[in-house]
Amino acid sequence: MMTSTKLFVRRLLKDPLMLGAVAVLGVLCLLALVAAVVPFAGNPTEIKGMRLSPPSAEYPLGTDSIGRSLLPRLLEGIGVTLVISAVAVLITAVVSTAVGVVAGYAGGWTREIILRVVDVFYAFPAIVLAILVAAVAGPGRPAAIAAIVLVTAPLMVRMIAVQAANVAYRDFVTSARISGVRLPVILVRHVLSGVAGTLAVQVTYALAVGILVEGGLSFLGYGAQLPESSLGLLVQEGVVYMTAAPWMLFAPVAALVASILSITIVGDTLRDRLEPREVRSLT
Amino acid sequence: MSGVLRWILTRLLVMGVTLLGASLVIFFALRLLPGGYESVVLGPLASEEQRQAAAERWGLDQPLWVQYWEWARGALTGDFGISLISQVPVLDELQLRMPVTGTLALMALAAAVLVGVPLGILTGLRSTRRSGGAAGRLVAGLGISIPEFVLGPAVLYVVSVRMSGFGVGSLSRLTEDPVGLVRALVLPAGVLAFSCVAVTARTTRDVVMGVLVEPHITAAVARGERPWHIVRHHVLRNSAVPILTLLGTITAYLLGGAVIVETVFNIPGIGSYMITGLGRQDYAVVQASVLLAATLFVVINAALEIAATFVDPRVSSKGRR
Repeated sequence: MMTSTKLFVRRLLKDPLMLGAVAVLGVLCLLALVAAVVPFAGNPTEIKGMRLSPPSAEYPLGTDSIGRSLLPRLLEGIGVTLVISAVAVLITAVVSTAVGVVAGYAGGWTREIILRVVDVFYAFPAIVLAILVAAVAGPGRPAAIAAIVLVTAPLMVRMIAVQAANVAYRDFVTSARISGVRLPVILVRHVLSGVAGTLAVQVTYALAVGILVEGGLSFLGYGAQLPESSLGLLVQEGVVYMTAAPWMLFAPVAALVASILSITIVGDTLRDRLEPREVRSLT
Repeated sequence: MSGVLRWILTRLLVMGVTLLGASLVIFFALRLLPGGYESVVLGPLASEEQRQAAAERWGLDQPLWVQYWEWARGALTGDFGISLISQVPVLDELQLRMPVTGTLALMALAAAVLVGVPLGILTGLRSTRRSGGAAGRLVAGLGISIPEFVLGPAVLYVVSVRMSGFGVGSLSRLTEDPVGLVRALVLPAGVLAFSCVAVTARTTRDVVMGVLVEPHITAAVARGERPWHIVRHHVLRNSAVPILTLLGTITAYLLGGAVIVETVFNIPGIGSYMITGLGRQDYAVVQASVLLAATLFVVINAALEIAATFVDPRVSSKGRR
């Protein structure tokens, strides 16, 4: 098992685009992590210099509207956004796997009821659902996390239920059932490993959606709150001072797009490898 | 009863149940909001009597189930109540805003159909790898990685600083000056279209590639049919249903109000109505506009799925099992 996993990872990293995406993500995470432990770039909340001063040696990314250095705020923002999205997607993954596997394996009425409830949440436009959750929970980190979970879970439950149902009728599951293997063992050993690939792909895409939702929420004022910083919040501030201080917009936008893009590329590559399909060209 | 008819009836029943669930969620979620309507309208200094009088006047002192029932009954007959803030009937406001959001949605959808679908088909026919070459993957990824709240302001910035000609901030009525309305909506529609085109192209490409490896295509190649003939008669026909489903989802999403784009460009559509209503705890407004968005989503999807059974009978037989 170990060797095949190693082989899989090695093959993935031979793909230059995938390698680039992983490198970008790694650098972003590392920078945010280091800045959180050792504030090498300065204190993100300290008011230091002139308001809206352009990038200089002292303030590598310039200062914001009340004179805070932008670089430490950006590093904090990357960290906050990635953590919010990661925590939310972790919750989504655990809940959706449990619910989806049960729905797919049990079938019948259990499956119908679960999928109908999922349908209800799927019917709301994502950003509306997110704002509603954030408004009810009160703006802030927990609200953003709850919103991302509610937005990403319906699709993931569906995908996992479909995949679990596919696995549930395979011969090796039937033979395990006939030979008296207990249900929890079947679910964990056979069904769970059968949906693992789908789960990995869906989790990656959900991470990108999480960053998008966090950004949208903060942009509309329902996400992370000042003096905290997050990518969405920084973009929103940048938009306000767009004409006077465009550097306030460029850096957060670059970080935001770079993280979503690299996560998407990782997702696409994983999907290619984990859900392989024959491909051919007509021409 | 024939199988197809029964399948359609089941589908309609499911649609009704979903809408019932959606209406319950939106109604009770709003009631969970901290504060309550009276304090928003009357302010923190109002006396207890004033609050009670206001609550009584709007029926907010009744049990929640009674309030829900009153609202749901009204909504079924097209009466969505009165905006608690502006005192204007919600239906009037929706009728004023729907043409704006509708025009915006149509423009973005047109881009998805005219650019996204052909792009997806072309790249799908030429790809030798599922995710395409490095350049293709990068471009496709970029399309869905630039959020509306980034692209919108960026476009506004470029336009406001560098050029003029596309009106920003001035709208005309669809019935009075349709050209003026379209011109005012070009930029926001372009922002919406960007991600719509990217998603459509990605999915279309995936669908086309999926069809290409089916045995009947191999058979057609073996029969010596010419490539263009195969594409038109076998590939496109078999790709139609999933592509239509995707376009339906996109339409529903656009019609339900592109909240962020409407906010960025200050467009008086459904999305901005919803957002301002939510900020003021204007129950009737938020309930009506969110329910409208959910209804559009559910109805369009159900309609497309039913239409699909006539194009491709396998759709309903799959559901029957």
